Amino acid sequence: MSERAMSAPAGALEAKKQMEKSFRKKGLFIALMSGFLYGGYTAFMTQGMATGVWVDYYGAASGLSAFAVVYTLSAVGAAVNDICSAIWSIIYAAIIGRLGDFARSVNTKPGRILILAAIIGGPLASTAYVVGLQMAGSIIIPIAALNAAIGAIIGRVIYKQALSGGMIAGIVICFGAAVLIGSTGFTGGEGFSATTVIGILAGFLAALGWGIEGAVGGYACCMVDYEVAIVIRQCTSGIVNGVILCSLLSLMGGDGIGTGLALVGKALVDAPSIWMFVIGGVFASFSFKFWYKGASMCGAALGMGCNGTYAFWGPFWCLIVCGLIFGVEGYAIPWQGWVGALVMVVGIVVLAISQDKASKEA
Amino acid sequence: MKPLNFAILKYFATGVEACRADVQEALKADYSGFKAFKDKGMDEALMTAASNGLIEESRLDLDKDGNLVIYYKALEDGIAAINSYIKD
Repeated sequence: MSERAMSAPAGALEAKKQMEKSFRKKGLFIALMSGFLYGGYTAFMTQGMATGVWVDYYGAASGLSAFAVVYTLSAVGAAVNDICSAIWSIIYAAIIGRLGDFARSVNTKPGRILILAAIIGGPLASTAYVVGLQMAGSIIIPIAALNAAIGAIIGRVIYKQALSGGMIAGIVICFGAAVLIGSTGFTGGEGFSATTVIGILAGFLAALGWGIEGAVGGYACCMVDYEVAIVIRQCTSGIVNGVILCSLLSLMGGDGIGTGLALVGKALVDAPSIWMFVIGGVFASFSFKFWYKGASMCGAALGMGCNGTYAFWGPFWCLIVCGLIFGVEGYAIPWQGWVGALVMVVGIVVLAISQDKASKEA
Repeated sequence: MKPLNFAILKYFATGVEACRADVQEALKADYSGFKAFKDKGMDEALMTAASNGLIEESRLDLDKDGNLVIYYKALEDGIAAINSYIKD
């Protein structure tokens, strides 16, 4: 929003600067909240998947194949969370009067773009992430964190958004912080086999999928209200994850095509665990809509850079929810996590200041 | 009837220069009951569209009470983008 060649009476320019400043501050706050709330979503889903019927699912007596225990159950967890999140998003949209616009938006070009972005970033990227984690280990955590850089490149190339040297430096610092935080989980001794290479490729696919979703979803939110976009996103992800992906994975694992749906159904009516998925779903709804909204207000580079703080908030929320509230051991955050968080703050400040400068020069 | 944000952008795709109050006046027949039609929501929708290059600020003014009035206009690229994403 440049002030070039604009006639303005005394006081108007100053008032506009104030308005812009408040818009930027709000955008930054929303983008940062997306990362913070993502941590809550991760923690409640993690705890939910360790409670009630899930204990049976992961138990030796479940009768599920080894493939199902690793892959299908991850998809089932994501599906249960997304379905809860979709129901909450619909209720919330109805309360704030956006349901009519949801029906009017879903079968339009921006609506279809949001559906495609949700499929790419939801079921596809999330599955690639789990596959990568299983095949190559935690080395893919920082690889997946490249999604912010990919989003920034997509924003620059497709939407002509600002991307200066300073912004790239900010993204690199944030990426370094994510590597530091993720490094505590690095597992050695895997060797560099073909499986590892495929796993790393899957990690890149996850980064690509999330990068596409963040940039494209963010841009679409300058046309589709973000309260409407989140309903489209969560309904798409819930249906595709729950019906298509879970069935497909069940078939691939030799558990029978109906197993995935049955697992989702049982988990949805499991009282001891479902309330955690409901809470996780509310967190997910706010997190993802703030991700889109932040990227639409700040641009993909800054919006996704701020969202990248989930690398710290994920373990932090798990420490609070799983560790302190539910008393599960093993969620302490090592020093790398805290130092990584501080480095990430530096990266975001560099990114935000550089973006502000770049947009004023544009 | 289009979603509110689509209607706002389509209004600018005619090439008109308008401030938030002008947009509200033009769309009030269909959208005045929408919660997002209030001043704050409309300002945010216009600023988001401007920060993504669909419309641009064309001039600034102050109203009789001394409040800031921002006028926006969609340029050729913005009009093309709006029309490519949002059909009539």
